[in-house]
Amino acid sequence: MGELWVVGEPGADGGLARLSAEVATLARDLGAQGGRRVAGVVVAAEPEMIATELARYLPTILAIAEPAAVEHAWSAIAAARVAGLLEEHASEPPDVILVGAGSDGRDFAGALSALTGLGVLTSATAVAWTDSGPAVEMSPFGGKLLTTCGFTGGRGIVTVRPSVADAVPGDTTGVVETRQASGPALPPVRVIERTSEAGAAAPIEEAKIIVAGGRGVGGPDGFGLVGELASELDGAVGATRAAVDSGWIGYSQQIGQTGKIVKPDLYLALGISGAIQHKVGMQTAGSIVAVNRDPDAPIAEFADLLVVGDLFEVGAALLEQLRARSG
Amino acid sequence: MHIVVLVKPVPDPASGGERLGADGRLDRASAPAVVNGNCEYALEAALKLAAASEGSEVTLLSMAPASAPETLRKALAMGATRGIHVTDPVLAGTCAVSTARVLAAALKPLTFDLVLAGVDTSDGLGGTVPAAVAAHLGLPLLSYASRIEPDEAAGTVRVRRISATGYDLLEAPMPAVISCTQALGEPRYPSLKGIMAARSKEIATRSLADLGIDPSTVGGAVATTTLIDSRTPPARGATEVVRGSPAEGAARIVEFLAQRRII
Amino acid sequence: MVLASPASARPMLRSAAVISSSQAHGPYQLSEEQRLLRDAVRELADERVAPRAADIDRTGEFPEDLRRLLATQDILALPFPEEHGGLGGELLSVCLAVEQLSRACATTGLILAAHELGALPLLLAGTPEQRARWFPRLASGEWLIAFALTEAEAGSDVAAARTRAVRDGDQYVISGSKRFITHGSVADLVTVFAVTDPEAPRHGRLSCFVVEVPTEGFSVPRVEHKMGIRGSPTAELAFDNVCVPVANRVGDEGDGFGIAMRTFERSRPGIAAQAVGIAQGALEVASRYATERRQFGQRIGDFQMVAAMLADMDASTEAARQLLYKACVEIDSGAPDAGRWSAMCKLVAGDAAMRVTTDAVQVLGGYGYIDDFPVERMMRDAKITQIYEGTQQIQRLVIARALLGKDRAPLG
Repeated sequence: MGELWVVGEPGADGGLARLSAEVATLARDLGAQGGRRVAGVVVAAEPEMIATELARYLPTILAIAEPAAVEHAWSAIAAARVAGLLEEHASEPPDVILVGAGSDGRDFAGALSALTGLGVLTSATAVAWTDSGPAVEMSPFGGKLLTTCGFTGGRGIVTVRPSVADAVPGDTTGVVETRQASGPALPPVRVIERTSEAGAAAPIEEAKIIVAGGRGVGGPDGFGLVGELASELDGAVGATRAAVDSGWIGYSQQIGQTGKIVKPDLYLALGISGAIQHKVGMQTAGSIVAVNRDPDAPIAEFADLLVVGDLFEVGAALLEQLRARSG
Repeated sequence: MHIVVLVKPVPDPASGGERLGADGRLDRASAPAVVNGNCEYALEAALKLAAASEGSEVTLLSMAPASAPETLRKALAMGATRGIHVTDPVLAGTCAVSTARVLAAALKPLTFDLVLAGVDTSDGLGGTVPAAVAAHLGLPLLSYASRIEPDEAAGTVRVRRISATGYDLLEAPMPAVISCTQALGEPRYPSLKGIMAARSKEIATRSLADLGIDPSTVGGAVATTTLIDSRTPPARGATEVVRGSPAEGAARIVEFLAQRRII
Repeated sequence: MVLASPASARPMLRSAAVISSSQAHGPYQLSEEQRLLRDAVRELADERVAPRAADIDRTGEFPEDLRRLLATQDILALPFPEEHGGLGGELLSVCLAVEQLSRACATTGLILAAHELGALPLLLAGTPEQRARWFPRLASGEWLIAFALTEAEAGSDVAAARTRAVRDGDQYVISGSKRFITHGSVADLVTVFAVTDPEAPRHGRLSCFVVEVPTEGFSVPRVEHKMGIRGSPTAELAFDNVCVPVANRVGDEGDGFGIAMRTFERSRPGIAAQAVGIAQGALEVASRYATERRQFGQRIGDFQMVAAMLADMDASTEAARQLLYKACVEIDSGAPDAGRWSAMCKLVAGDAAMRVTTDAVQVLGGYGYIDDFPVERMMRDAKITQIYEGTQQIQRLVIARALLGKDRAPLG
């Protein structure tokens, strides 16, 4: 019976990406459900640190050192090396290869599927085990539908959405096995430099509370209030495409069909109409609270609580009351 | 420069009518077809690059049902030079893996500097096709581009790739595959002259035989993935609407958050 | 006053049935090109023009941004021949665009309609040299052209104009003033009608000139504050010995009146299109409101009195639209009674727009009277379509003249 492999991605700080830890936890539980072994795979210039971190979650880690990864795009390198690894395991190939559904993960999944012919199920919100292999839950059409899909051959690649599982270390620390790079390479893409933009703290997908501003915020100054509320609630600042397109806030804060998909415990939407393109980015949040002048805005249909009013007045009052509360 | 843009007709997301058919595949008749939003951004980027480089051309490439040319007209009206339409009834229900293989086969005989594609499509959201196409062709992939700067003299291209904390600057030799984000800039409306001119622009058709692809290796019958079940998500529950003074509204929010143990 | 063009004096003793059958010209159908055009302008209007409409009305500022948008989208190229960078100039195509724009904002629809109006004298009577000189930049939208005929003392009575153009060697010297000139303060070219021969019979006194502005002696003393189409600048123009080369005269001396009348034949449908667009916009707002507003436990659209109003509004608008499209085809194919078609479509559409917008305000009740909803603006915008480019009363004179012919009794 085939194993489950989890491909660990390098995070922004050089360690293991938090999304990979989440995927590893999910895979570990899935493996337990299906009685399958789970292994992690790490491809990096110096894989030890990432592999050690991943070993907190999984019993076995296959670590491949790939010097080119220092200053070349990760996904093509990793896909080629994992393809090589799969060839080595041809007699007993893994049934499922899981990776995070961030941009690197999707690029990785695409390249690997081309190299191996394996199918891909993307943006999974849940994975369960059935007799014929993994059953992957997804939500296409902007969340209007929930589908469960499988692989016709019982084997394939799955990309997993952020915040689907919590990252929970296993009971014991796993063993790291060094493997040699093998197989053909894909054309490398040089990374000349990496730039961090001001205000882009932790990736917004990881935030448990998000305070977001839309067209109603009116300008960059208005985002001051949004930021203060986020601060007070210990959350992150989000924005709709309208706000980003108007230059009021950076693209890394954009939530929606063309930005990030988030699943916080609380999504506080200020001056956001709730149009479908934004809705798909946040509709699975635990609680949705909206402040809007227009009681008929689309967000009224799916928010848990809608306060009809001017977002600056309500926001200022809210800030005051929250601060009074925390003493 | 010659730039090829991968373009996919999808059911119009704005129509709200997207749904699956009885066979579990996307019902393409469920809503009028439009060019996938992200593909329009890729096309806009291509048109801008072409305008900046004398004698450049932009070719659309689409693997789509027979009705696609009507949808591609708008893309031609935006300014693309011509279109290539890969179509065959067998292709219905083709999965992403085979789609990438077919697109790569269509690209292989062409000479180009760049292939641009949207990062994903509104009817699939997979986001794996650009990387798969690049891998099939043995070309570098520069993905999630927010800026594209080719250097024709040097034969290289630089791309700003959106990252979690900002952006990375990538560089690779051309020809290359670039997946495009909306940060590249709003697609233009086709001008009236563009609309009129589009009617006489060529859309060449390619069959599987033209591409040397065995029909038994594509299509719904041999798709790598299959639908097991589908259902509508549970409703969130009624919305509580609060009117009144800002202080009253704020107080209700605080109460709500406390009730749900968020604060 | 007499406005009938020579052509419409012909069907004197024919019965109404013969006059109204459009034998040679047949039914119309929108071509694929026209449908694409209409849909493209509609999309543009919905996404880029509509969000600006309330603001334009509130500030009364000419929407330069939308004028530029119309230019880059080639919409201002519609009236001009292809050889000069235009899109061919079919009347129906221009009207389709004006209608879709006006649905969102009457001021914006007027940008195209007034641009066409100003250019018509050149389109009808310009020399190849004049067309080559001016059309390219008018088609690209870089330049706007305005039509300056009306004066303080010469509104409906066009032939009573007093602005004078005196020949002086190889130029004309123009003095006088014009009133109520659409785009007068933002245009780059002004088509001016001035008296060259005060002694000539009424219809031979005027000549037509194109004045390139700014130019010495030309000024804009005043821009009106209006009830509606508030974003469209309506200006008084003053000409104080403005010199204009002979090469800028359109047609021969004395041709001015005839050129103006032939211009109106083609420009009135543009106003009809504006009116149909305004009506359609109001109808859509009122219909949507009637499905959303609930009183006495049901949608107000289900009350018969409201439903009847909406039905009449829809029928009125559609009737005006169909007459307009048909008129465009008739006029473009050289129908001998083009003047009658032109007057009819403007008459019907203008009255329909006023009625439909007034009823739209009524359907919305109190909400229709406040500017939270656009119908009060649409009602104010609609009124002008019953006034400019020939009042409804003038249109009726034209139609009656076509129907009844001239009195053949001896001149007395």
